[in-house]
Amino acid sequence: MKDTIILGIESSCDETAASLVKNGQDILANIVNSQISIHQQFGGVVPEVASRKHIENIAVVVDAAFKESGLSYSDIDAVAVTNRPGLIGALLVGLSFAKSFAYALNKPLIAVNHLHGHIYANSLAHKNIEFPAICLVVSGGHTSLLYMKNIGEYEIIGETRDDAAGEAFDKVARFMGLGYPGGPEVQKAAEQGQLGKVKLPRVFLDKNDFEFSFSGLKTATMNEWKKMERRGEQNVHDMAAEFQAALVEVLVEKTMRAAARYKVKTVLIAGGVAANQALRNLMQEKAGENNLQLFYPPLALCTDNAAMIAGTAYHSYTNGDFAPLNINAYPGLFVPVKN
Amino acid sequence: MLVLAVDSATPVAGVALVNDEKVIREDFVNYKKTHSETLMPMIDKVLKECDCCLDDIDAIAVTIGPGSFTGLRIGMATVKGLCLASGKPLVGISTLEVLAHNITGSDAMVCPLLDARKQEVYCGFFNVSSGLPQEIAATTACSPQEFAAAALDLARQNDIDRFILLGDGYYAYKDYFQQEFGQKLIKVPSHLLLPRAAAAGSLGIIKASQGDFKDIFQLRPVYLRLSEAEYRLGRGEL
Ligand SMILES: [Zn+2]
Repeated sequence: MKDTIILGIESSCDETAASLVKNGQDILANIVNSQISIHQQFGGVVPEVASRKHIENIAVVVDAAFKESGLSYSDIDAVAVTNRPGLIGALLVGLSFAKSFAYALNKPLIAVNHLHGHIYANSLAHKNIEFPAICLVVSGGHTSLLYMKNIGEYEIIGETRDDAAGEAFDKVARFMGLGYPGGPEVQKAAEQGQLGKVKLPRVFLDKNDFEFSFSGLKTATMNEWKKMERRGEQNVHDMAAEFQAALVEVLVEKTMRAAARYKVKTVLIAGGVAANQALRNLMQEKAGENNLQLFYPPLALCTDNAAMIAGTAYHSYTNGDFAPLNINAYPGLFVPVKN
Repeated sequence: MLVLAVDSATPVAGVALVNDEKVIREDFVNYKKTHSETLMPMIDKVLKECDCCLDDIDAIAVTIGPGSFTGLRIGMATVKGLCLASGKPLVGISTLEVLAHNITGSDAMVCPLLDARKQEVYCGFFNVSSGLPQEIAATTACSPQEFAAAALDLARQNDIDRFILLGDGYYAYKDYFQQEFGQKLIKVPSHLLLPRAAAAGSLGIIKASQGDFKDIFQLRPVYLRLSEAEYRLGRGEL
């Protein structure tokens, strides 16, 4: 069978990215232009600033992907782009560019759900994933548990009711005076901390569902932090260690319960927070105890990238699932129904 | 010379195919649909109905601002994609110059105004008496009152006593401007009041024949304004 090469474009948050992927598997180029250093001065991603960087960088990353792969434009079979969920102004840059680039080359356009992309990052890295599986998607924007019948067949069985896990990391890092993004900063601080020096709650909500809530943990962390300050013994390392443990234990425990309830043998982690070492370690330990196969993407594929978008699109390509020129971008997970 | 012109800087979306002598086709929409849904189908339609493809075109022109931040980026991303894939050069044109180009040969001062929200307008000051718009003063974002004061002042210095105000920034403060400029204001018919892709195409032909192209790897919109967060950071509020 002829090889299928797809150009992926991603601009849903603060990374402008382009990638070329063959047959949904082999990464031929993976260019990510990160804006982290720009948003650090604001303490978080500023949507308008992100959009401004995207329009400067979009042609640059696409050109770089072709140069890195040595391919020419005519070698590609389709253009894939994230059109939801994300920052709307940011998404529109990538989507508008992808549409016209595909149009000018007379290639089909494929719209990709960013979360599907994060999940697919696992399939880019591992060939023998057995389905059905339970997938924990954890990022700055999402915390969801999904039951996956197969690649592309998802059912959301639980979500966060308030903050996403990555958002909680960012907020806690911010008031403890750690940098942005919070995840890696809290992890670094936690490495030198001692567990149990402070006590934070593990918020499981109803024992029978797969919902999460992190705003309570965030508030409790803030209160403990202020108490420590009053006592004059603020220890950022101990606090970071306890906060990270409280969050990770809930994520892992709920994932294990979901795996048992749905009787699956495979567990996946996806999204930016899948890069967290404490989460990986505890999930590995518990998966081992429960005889589950655990997969997570390598670090470079956990954070936002376009390889996961081009990879996801391969399955749409083989199904002939193409997007029209009037397709729009949406901030939410789902495309709203028009009246 | 054949130029495809694209404009989505304001609530108007426009696409035109223009050559040295004439406008071949123009599509203009000023109706509440998002540019991200309408722009690319409009480009496709204009090209197809003229039995034209990107290969036939010499350059692609786009309005680079000022205007709605998101609208500008949709137009610019679209044109960057077309240019990168086709290898065609990109011509960038000021939205205000395009608007001013709706008027020609008048002795009045032509002032294109775009609604910048927050009680401000993006405004330009042009002399069109010899045909093409010549900038009298730099474009800026300011309150309608500041604009009116500046326009009247510039007119006094340049011996101009009539004004033509254009654009959705004029609509937004119409009563105020009519009162402020009174008899000095020349009324303009509605088909000339908003930016036209055909006007962008006509200016695009001139720039393209002069070899005045933009680097698609460097080009960014002319916003005339910082983002809210940058503004607050600059004032030490972040
Ligand atoms: Zn993401």
